[in-house]
Amino acid sequence: MHSIALDAPTKTSFDHSLMPPCQAACPLHMEIGEYVDLIAQGRIMEALQVIRAGNPFPAICGHVCSHPCEESCRRAQVDSPVSIRALKRFAIEFGGDRMIRLEAETTRSDKVAVVGSGPAGLAAAYYLRKMGYPVTIFEAHSEVGGMLRVGIPEYRLPREVLDVEVQRLTQMGVEIRTNTRVVSLDLLFELDYRAVFITVGAHQSLRIGIEGEDSPGVVDGATFLREVNLGLKPPIGAAVAVVGGGNVAIDAARTALRLGASEVTVLYRRNREQMPADPTEVEQALEEGVQFEFLASPTQIARKRGQLQVTCMRYELGEPDASGRPRPVPIDGSEFNLRFDTLISAIGQAPRVPEDFRLRIGRGSTIQVDPVTLLTNRRGVFAGGDAVTGPATVVQALAFGRQAALRIAEYLEHRYPLPPKETVQRVNGDLSATTVEVIRKAHRLDPKLLVPEERIRDFRPVELIYDWESAIDEARRCLRCGMGAEVLFQDQCATCLNCLRICPYHVPYVDDSGTIQIPADQCQACGICVAECPANAIVLRKPRDRRHIDEELDHIFRSAPQSPVEPLIVGFGCQYGLFGTGTLGGLWRRAQAGIWIVPVLCIATVEPEHIMRAFEMGAEGVFVAGCGEQCARENTAFWLSQRVAKVRKALLQLGLEPQRLQSFNLGASEEDPVTTLDRFTQQIGGLRLALALQQEVKS
Amino acid sequence: MIVAEQKPLEEIARLIAPYKKVLILGCGTCMTVCGAGGEREVSFLHSALRVGQVRSSDSGHEFREYTVKRQCDAEFMDPIADRVREVDAILSLGCGIGVQVAAERFPDTPVLPGVNTSFMGAVSELGVWDERCAACGDCRLAETAGICPITRCTKGILNGPCAGTKKGKCEANMDIDCAWVLIYERLERLGQLEKMRRYYPPRNFRTIPRPRRIVTIAETELGEANG
Repeated sequence: MHSIALDAPTKTSFDHSLMPPCQAACPLHMEIGEYVDLIAQGRIMEALQVIRAGNPFPAICGHVCSHPCEESCRRAQVDSPVSIRALKRFAIEFGGDRMIRLEAETTRSDKVAVVGSGPAGLAAAYYLRKMGYPVTIFEAHSEVGGMLRVGIPEYRLPREVLDVEVQRLTQMGVEIRTNTRVVSLDLLFELDYRAVFITVGAHQSLRIGIEGEDSPGVVDGATFLREVNLGLKPPIGAAVAVVGGGNVAIDAARTALRLGASEVTVLYRRNREQMPADPTEVEQALEEGVQFEFLASPTQIARKRGQLQVTCMRYELGEPDASGRPRPVPIDGSEFNLRFDTLISAIGQAPRVPEDFRLRIGRGSTIQVDPVTLLTNRRGVFAGGDAVTGPATVVQALAFGRQAALRIAEYLEHRYPLPPKETVQRVNGDLSATTVEVIRKAHRLDPKLLVPEERIRDFRPVELIYDWESAIDEARRCLRCGMGAEVLFQDQCATCLNCLRICPYHVPYVDDSGTIQIPADQCQACGICVAECPANAIVLRKPRDRRHIDEELDHIFRSAPQSPVEPLIVGFGCQYGLFGTGTLGGLWRRAQAGIWIVPVLCIATVEPEHIMRAFEMGAEGVFVAGCGEQCARENTAFWLSQRVAKVRKALLQLGLEPQRLQSFNLGASEEDPVTTLDRFTQQIGGLRLALALQQEVKS
Repeated sequence: MIVAEQKPLEEIARLIAPYKKVLILGCGTCMTVCGAGGEREVSFLHSALRVGQVRSSDSGHEFREYTVKRQCDAEFMDPIADRVREVDAILSLGCGIGVQVAAERFPDTPVLPGVNTSFMGAVSELGVWDERCAACGDCRLAETAGICPITRCTKGILNGPCAGTKKGKCEANMDIDCAWVLIYERLERLGQLEKMRRYYPPRNFRTIPRPRRIVTIAETELGEANG
C-alpha cells in the first residue's frame, strides 16, 4: 500500500536518488534519509519540517513507532541499524514541535464522519481536513485516541503528547465528539454525512478457551490496560501472571509492576526468540523485574482460597506452522501448578463491529474492504485500521488513515480511484563484503533509559531524549543509501577510470561493454569521485547542500562589503556534526570580521575550481575546514590535501603566496580552532600590508 | 593514450597576452584522461588565468570555455564555429594533434597550445603516467616479451642489457627499471629465454619518412572487385 504524501515539499532541485530501504519499509514512506541527514547537520527545525511533511502525528511515532525502518536499515550489515525512531523523537523535542500550529479551511461541503478516534481515524481526519472537508470524529470512550489512549501505557506514550496532537486537530477544525457511540450508520447518513470511515480498532480480547477463564481474578489484557489508562486502579494483588508474548502482554506485565505487583510472570508457550513483542520492550521488562516462563501455557484455572491456582503445561517446539514460527507442542504429563492473585490473558485481540452497521465481516472478525478503494459492502462506508487488518502497529494505522482520506476524497469528488504507482526505484541488495569492510564502524548509540527502580515507581516515560551531541553522532551513522554518485553524462565520460581508482569503497566498476558503473546500492555518497572526475560527468544523485557552492560564492561576493581594512577571507566549512553548527559557527562569529563561510556537506565536495574561484572573485585568503577525525567517510581529508596542493602550485605560478590557502582539520589539532584561524587572518592581513607597501614603493 | 601536461601558467599567460578574447578549448578524450585538458581543467585554468589577471592588473582578457569530445577530429569542432568567430584566439588544451587540427579547421584564428604533449603511455598507478610506445612503426614486442626496449631502455638498444644495468635499475636513472632486465625476467617466465640469445640488427630510424601517413582506402574502380 503506497500513498503519496499530500503535503510533501515541492522539489525543484535535481533528484535522482533511489528510495532507501528505510523509506521503503516505512508504511508512511517517510523521507528518513532526508531528516536523518538534516539532524546530522544540526538543522533540527528543518528535520522536523521533513518529518511533519510525511507523518500526521510524528510525536506519537517518535515515542511508540515499531520502526520497521530500523529493521531494514543497511547499517545493520556494518554494525547496527541507525536509531531512527529515537532521532525522530529528538527532532520533535528540540525542533519545537509543540509550538507548531496547524490551520485548515473548509473548502468543501461534503461532510465526513470518522467512527473511532484511534491512529487510523485521527490520520484520516487530519488529511481530509487538510483537503478542506468538514470532518467529525465519533468516539465511544470519554477520551480520544483509541488504542493510543486506552491500549498503550503512559510510560511509553505520555498523554500530553497525544493531547497536543488532538488539540492541533481541533485547531484545524475537526469536530470531535467523545462519549458518543455510533449505533447506526443510517443515522449518520441521515445527519447528512456523505462518507463514513469506520476505524473501531480491535479491542476485543481473544479467549484462551480453558476451564476457569471466567473466574474472578482473571482479566483480559485489553480491558486491564483500558481500565488503568482511563485512570482506574484495578486491584491485582501481589502475584500477577500474564499469558501471551505480544506487545500487549509486555505492556500488561510492565503496567502490573507499576500498579504495585511484586511478582509478575509472563507465560508464553514458545521461546523468547519467537515472541512477537518488540525485543527492546522485552529487554526493558526483564530489567524491571518481569519474569518469563517460556514454553509454558495455562490449561486450567481454579479459584482456591482467594487466589488462582493455574495449571500449566510445558511445551516443546515442533515444525514451523503457517506463521513460519515453530509450532509449540505440549509435552504429555508436564503439568505443574502456579499460584497467582491475578491472571491477565493477552493472547490476541480482534475487532468487534456492531451488527447494526450491516458490514461484511471476514476472517478474524475483521471488516472486509476492497483493497484498492477501501470501501465496505455499503455505499459511502469505508473502513480501515485494526478493524480491517486485525491488531497492527500505529504507523500502519496512520498509513491506512492517509490512504483512506485519499480514497474518500476520490469517492466524494466522483473520481476514479487511482492508487499512486511507485515511481522511485528502490535501493536493492545488500552491501558487498568489500564495501562493508571499508566502512568505518560506529556502534549505535541508544538514548538513555531511566534506571529500572525509578521506572516502576510510576508511569513516567522510560526513555530519555538524546542530548544534542549523541543525536548528531547517531545521525551521522546513516549510510545515505540511494543518494550516491552516478555517471550522469555518460557521453561526457572519458572512461578514465579515475572514479574506480580513487573510490575508498571500491564501488565503481567497468561493465562488459566498457562503461563505468557506480552501483547505487553500494555507493556511500562521499562525493570524492564527483570532485575528481576530469570530465565533470559524475554527480551525486541528490545534492544535499542548501545551495550549490558556486551560488554560495556568488552570494558572498554580492554581499561582502569592500573593506579597506579587513581582508576578505573565504572559508569552506564542513556542515556535518557539531563541527558545522557548533565549532565552526562560533568560530566565524568570534574571529575577526571579513570571514565568510561557504557551508559544504563534507570537504570532499570542495573542488579546486571552487577554491580558485574564491580567489578569482577577490578573496585574499581561503581556508577549508574539515571535521577531521569525525568524518564519517574515508579519505576525504587526503583528497582535499591533493586539491589544496594543486591550487597552491597554481597560486605560486601566478605570483601569489601559497600560504594564502590553508586547510584545517580542526577536530584533529589540540589547538583551539579560533586561535588557528586568528593566526591565519593575521597572516593574510600581513600579506595585504606587504603588498600595499610594495605598491607604495613602486609608485 | 597520449599523455601531456599543462604548460606553466606564466607561459600560458605570455601566449595569450596579445589576444583579448580567448576560447579555452578542452579535449574530452586523452587530455581528459591524463588530467591535462578536460572540462574540469578548462574551468580551473579559466579561474586561474582570471586570478592572474586581477593580480597583474592585466585585465584586458575575456575568456570562454568549451570542451569538445575530441580535438583530433575536425567534425567535433563544427558546433563551435560560431563561438570561434567571436574570439581572437583559441587556447587549445588538446595534444599537439588537437592544436593542429583546430588550426586547420579554423584557419583565421590563432590556435595556441596550452599543454606540452609528452608521450604515449599508460597509468602505472593513480596519478602516475609512464611512456610505453615510441611509435617507431616497426613493432618488435613479440621478441621482447611485450616490453618495448625502444621506449623503456634509456638507450633504446635492441640487444640488451648494456653494462649500465645496476640491480635491475638503469645507471642513467636509478628510479627507472632496466628494460632489458624486465625483458629477461618475463622471457624466463614465458620459457622463451632463447630469444635473449638472438642478435637483432640495428634499426635505421632515418628510413622513417616524416610525416608518416596510413591509407586504408584502396584505390579501386567500380566493379573492379568482382573480378
